[in-house]
Amino acid sequence: MELETRKEGEVLVVKSLEKRLAAHIAAEFRERLAQLINEGNHLIVLDISEVEFIDSAGLAALVYTLKLLGRKEQLVIYGARGPVTNIFELTRMNTVFQMFDDEKGAIAALSG
Amino acid sequence: MGTKRIKLVIESILENVPLVGLSVNNICRHANFSEEVSSQIDLCVVEAVTNCVKHAYKQIPGHKVEVDISLYDDRISFSISDHGKRMKILQMPRLEFDPEDVEHLPEGGMGLYIIHQAMDEVSYKTEEGKNTLTLTKRFQTG
Repeated sequence: MELETRKEGEVLVVKSLEKRLAAHIAAEFRERLAQLINEGNHLIVLDISEVEFIDSAGLAALVYTLKLLGRKEQLVIYGARGPVTNIFELTRMNTVFQMFDDEKGAIAALSG
Repeated sequence: MGTKRIKLVIESILENVPLVGLSVNNICRHANFSEEVSSQIDLCVVEAVTNCVKHAYKQIPGHKVEVDISLYDDRISFSISDHGKRMKILQMPRLEFDPEDVEHLPEGGMGLYIIHQAMDEVSYKTEEGKNTLTLTKRFQTG
């Protein structure tokens, strides 16, 4: 799967270039994020502005990543589009993850 | 207008599942479901087909997953079939969690929950070794 990463101070911005964040790539997605955490990145903004679809396996990968980090304040999500936001709401995962419409706000939330 | 039907068949490999989702999404859009509802139906069918590959066939390639789609005047239905291990439960799992309790957040059970939330009818049967999950979504009227 394709991920793009860049550092903004202490914050790692991880952008998914995959349009469908689903079971067929969920295992690799989990492993890649776990590796980034193991490399010492403990504040992560996940940019899903390119993502058009997420399934339960994609959501589970996000939950797994959050558990690896340990605290809700260490992982925020930026750029969720309509259908994707809808799935976060349907599963109430929008109450778990802080979700931002703008990248600056997402980075600032972790940098504080 | 008569019933329109199409059958999609994939081999039991997760990489094939998005192709089913994309096809379903386009068929739903063509049937005048909104973008939001089409995406939800896409998701439900993907969850069901993924379950067949992961649980019925334990991710062993070489098996078939079939999706029979029927478009009626008032509804669309999807019959997702496999010849693998039967699903244990059909009831909607409880998705209760404390969003502040990170350690105990759920990582499973969300697929079936989503299906029950988003579809109007959900049924499951096994006949002569063939398991079929049928999902129906009605067109909103009035």
